[in-house]
Amino acid sequence: MIRSITGMIIVLALAAAVFSVIPYNGVTEELHGAGSYYAENGVADTGSINLVTSVVVAYRGLDTLGEVVVLFSASTAVVLILSLVPMGGKPTAPSQIVQTTARILPGAITLFGIYIVTHGHLSPGGGFPGGAVVASAFLLVLLGSRSLPGAAGMLTAVESLAGLAFGLLGFWGVYVMGQFLNSRVLPGGSPGQLISAGIIPLVSLAIGAKVASELSGVFASYRSKGETVEPD
Amino acid sequence: MNPTEIFYWSLAATAAGLVLTGVWGVLTRKNILRIALAFTLADTGVNLLLVWSGFIPGRSAPIMDPTVTSVVDPLPQALVLTSIVIGVAVAALFVVVGVLAARKSGSADVRRMKELRW
Amino acid sequence: MTASLLAAVACVTGLMMIVAGIASLLVKKLISAIIIVGFVSLSASVLFFLMHAPDVAITEASIGAAASTVIFLWGRARIGGEE
Repeated sequence: MIRSITGMIIVLALAAAVFSVIPYNGVTEELHGAGSYYAENGVADTGSINLVTSVVVAYRGLDTLGEVVVLFSASTAVVLILSLVPMGGKPTAPSQIVQTTARILPGAITLFGIYIVTHGHLSPGGGFPGGAVVASAFLLVLLGSRSLPGAAGMLTAVESLAGLAFGLLGFWGVYVMGQFLNSRVLPGGSPGQLISAGIIPLVSLAIGAKVASELSGVFASYRSKGETVEPD
Repeated sequence: MNPTEIFYWSLAATAAGLVLTGVWGVLTRKNILRIALAFTLADTGVNLLLVWSGFIPGRSAPIMDPTVTSVVDPLPQALVLTSIVIGVAVAALFVVVGVLAARKSGSADVRRMKELRW
Repeated sequence: MTASLLAAVACVTGLMMIVAGIASLLVKKLISAIIIVGFVSLSASVLFFLMHAPDVAITEASIGAAASTVIFLWGRARIGGEE
């Protein structure tokens, strides 16, 4: 009880501190600074009509590289801990509905995920949500199976190769143009076509492969090695 | 207050309310998984606040179709894309280390986890 | 969508999210708390769409509502939900 009231007082103090410095000037009307530059010159500089993808991959590609490193270290730590410390637990056999669904749906879900990744510069999406959708298809296969699929080695290989591809694509920009991750090393094409926007589709593919294999590796490590489930 | 202003400020109030709820949950809950859930709530609130900071009512999404004339700010949306993925990575690590600590000390109560003290 | 309809939807969704957030920390069963947090993530995805951020909405729906919920469900399966 004391802890609850103290927590409430701290939260109210935090709220008062935050709300007292917000400028209540009214609704924003204009873009300022970097946002206005991206809105005006984004399509002309990079060739991708999705401004958010052009910011994530081309203008702020270095931040995305850092984020890829964070995701890599977190997923490696999770897989490492779970392979060294057995967590036990007894899985139950998947029911008939789950088994049948896990045979039909993962193909369509993977196809949708690949669509989101490859059309990242044309419509909302990009590497990150597409990779997560492909990982959820892998999760469906895991949930409907009776034994652990032995794909852990290939997942690690795909993840490492995708990360390497991201770095190499960035350095290609340095080699050709003197700028890391400049999207003009490949021809820009006409905005709105699938083959356009320079290097952005390739980087989206690398990011999508990396995120998908990392999340799939984390889901696969939730099942201990050699664990099988008795049919009921 | 016309409807546009109500829309604008209610979004900010929702996001701020979620952040405060998450902070309160981290401070007062005892189960280690509930602390992780409260952290995820606070993270969602912060992401909402960041996207709200770039929102301009009346403009459209930052996909430059030929029919689009004015767009909202794409920079906070790009940053929040990164932030969501990092949030799930931190949640995964939080839950795994929490399960490890709970197994070691025998219960999921943070008051029992003696190694966390000085 | 007219402006007053947008304002009404945003107010109702926002109120629901805050009440659900507080409820998820107060319910007895852990499984309910996890599902409510997944629901808050999904409502956040709707709010992102209303703020004209479709990329962020897709990412939050697929990563926040799906992958995050799976992570918490695994944690609960290893520790056991409190009653």
